[in-house]
Amino acid sequence: MDAVLVDRVTKSYDSVTAVNDLSFAIKQGAVFGLLGPNGAGKTTTLRMMMRILVPDTGNIRILGEPLTDKTQDLIGYLPEERGLYQRMEIGKILVFLGALKGLTEKEAGRRTGAWLERFELTKWTKKKLIDLSKGMQQKVQFIAAVIHQPPLLILDEPFTGLDPVNAILVKDIMLELRAQGATIILSTHRMEQVEMMCDSICLIHHGRNVLHGDLRAIKKSYGKNTLRIECSGDGNFLNQSGLVENVNHFGEVTEAKLKPGADPQEILKAAVRQGVRINRFELVEPPLNDIFIEKVGGARA
Amino acid sequence: MRKFWLIVKREYVTRVRTKGFIFATILIPILSTGFFAFSIFMATRQNDRTMNIAILDNSGGFADAISKSLRNNLPNGLPAFRVVQTIDRPSSEKDARKELLAQVNAGSLDGFLVLPKNITGAKAAEFHTRNTGDFTLEGTIGHAVSDAVITRRLSDRGIHVENLRDVIHNVEIKMVKVTRQGETEEKGQTFITAIVLAMLLYMTLIMYGIVTMRSVLEEKTTRIVEVLISAVTPFQLLAGKIIGVAAVAFTQYLIWITSASLLGAYGGAMAAALRPGSSIPTLHVPPLVLISLPVYFLLGYFLYASMYAAIGAAASNEQDAQQMQLPATLPIVMSFIMFNVLLRDPNSTMSVVLSEIPFFSPILMLLRISVQTPPLWQIALSILLLILTALGVVYLSARIYRVGVLMYGKRPSLVEILRWVRYT
Repeated sequence: MDAVLVDRVTKSYDSVTAVNDLSFAIKQGAVFGLLGPNGAGKTTTLRMMMRILVPDTGNIRILGEPLTDKTQDLIGYLPEERGLYQRMEIGKILVFLGALKGLTEKEAGRRTGAWLERFELTKWTKKKLIDLSKGMQQKVQFIAAVIHQPPLLILDEPFTGLDPVNAILVKDIMLELRAQGATIILSTHRMEQVEMMCDSICLIHHGRNVLHGDLRAIKKSYGKNTLRIECSGDGNFLNQSGLVENVNHFGEVTEAKLKPGADPQEILKAAVRQGVRINRFELVEPPLNDIFIEKVGGARA
Repeated sequence: MRKFWLIVKREYVTRVRTKGFIFATILIPILSTGFFAFSIFMATRQNDRTMNIAILDNSGGFADAISKSLRNNLPNGLPAFRVVQTIDRPSSEKDARKELLAQVNAGSLDGFLVLPKNITGAKAAEFHTRNTGDFTLEGTIGHAVSDAVITRRLSDRGIHVENLRDVIHNVEIKMVKVTRQGETEEKGQTFITAIVLAMLLYMTLIMYGIVTMRSVLEEKTTRIVEVLISAVTPFQLLAGKIIGVAAVAFTQYLIWITSASLLGAYGGAMAAALRPGSSIPTLHVPPLVLISLPVYFLLGYFLYASMYAAIGAAASNEQDAQQMQLPATLPIVMSFIMFNVLLRDPNSTMSVVLSEIPFFSPILMLLRISVQTPPLWQIALSILLLILTALGVVYLSARIYRVGVLMYGKRPSLVEILRWVRYT
């Protein structure tokens, strides 16, 4: 059984078609990356899963069931635009939202205490949200999404606004929930996060599914066509070799996409000829970032 | 249903605890009681000091008669006025005025009365004093001058009157209100009750409408609404909010009505304690009015609060909401403006028609009921029309709300908002 099944879903607003004949499935226990440029239809898709919006045509199932009040309680949601009641004590906000998601108020109170302790917010329990720093508010919002231990967790840019220590805490909790059987949908523009965390993805563009499946398989299908180099000295040899399509300088690391049929050995020779000192010379699969740009940029052109 | 009650509870508990609610609930009865006490005090307040006055009589021969009329005493037994100087037909009025003015400014005189030449013609007398705001003073001196002048006019026509007051005092008319329950003497209390109740409805409809609008807008601008409607349906959220705010309003009504009945029961005693001898008419509120008040408030509230909620949902910030409020506020304000039409003749065709129109009926039918009981079928019809309209408006508002809370950006036009109603 799939955690989520989106079957030929279309949704239009007036003349704009936000989601166009979209289909994909998410396996239970997966960490699934829902990707796409701004305005691609990601938020509309997520909102339809949560029954905030109703599809014009097509069908959505959560854990095998058609959408009902009950399926709403199976989902935990961290929206991209964060916000909770500004002038309410954070303890009370969490109990209220937990109860709205089907917990008894007593159980919601117990879990609120445990989660606030884990995020080191216990002494803020009776403070109003507005009295907390931005980072602390983010943590409260994350607790609100997971307090009812949902089997399906939808996280939209979960790491923004968190310092590295809290980002690790959030990541650990995500992995914990996954180990307990939860399915996680991660919507983000940070491709390195997707590469590190997701096992499958769906890339949406103009409301259509342009690429989906197992992330490793997708990358493998592109083959090892990318050079990752660390060197000291002039990096111009890459362009001069005439064997690469484009070059990306990241400062320490340089990535270059090889032209079809190009021999990387020739590039290494050119580097040696120019007296460049090579610290790393590696043939890798293309980064997800490049795949994203190719799919989305190509479709735009 | 459980989720709906959670929304109601949160809305109620957080609102009842706000400083604004506590202030409004406690301060408004205290202020109105204080105002009530203050106005009794002011109305019955009198000078406790004899006024030294002068009379400048350009017509001649009135000073004695006026002085005689001004012989009333203050509550503490001192005479109210002492005429310290009279100037009969001065050679130069200008000089005489100048001198009296100097005395007033020096404080040796509290005021002076100036009678023009030919006062028996229709000319006005003047009273010059530092404090012209005392209405009882104006009345007392006015009476004294009028009595003297009228006595003179009569004697000019050959009628000699010893004590004019005995001849010309008015005959009082007592207004008696006839209802099926019997007759009660009218001292203006029916109108006061009607106006107070209609004002109360007017204020609370607007106030709680705006509270609902702000509440919707707050959830939208803080973006929590997206989390909420991933747990409950937009209709549950809207209904919970409207019922929650209604519960807050009823709590406030209960506190006010309780304190008003206490004031009614002990107000007379309070007035008596402040000023012995003064009386206030007891407010008589018929039971039909007491039943109609919550019915019309509740129905009117559902009608208007759902409109305000739709406005809060369509706006993206406080300024936009302010500008979009008009369609909801205008009918309430119009009902308020039409007070007069109804009070003048509560049974005219105009009054009957206006009080049946659903957007006006909460305020105007209540006004009619408290002035003069209309035929029961008219009350029943207005309630029926109001219920049907409220249901329709709640339905449209819920559809606008559902789409509006997720729309951010520029202020939507009316056409766009109407298009939202048709969205699936």
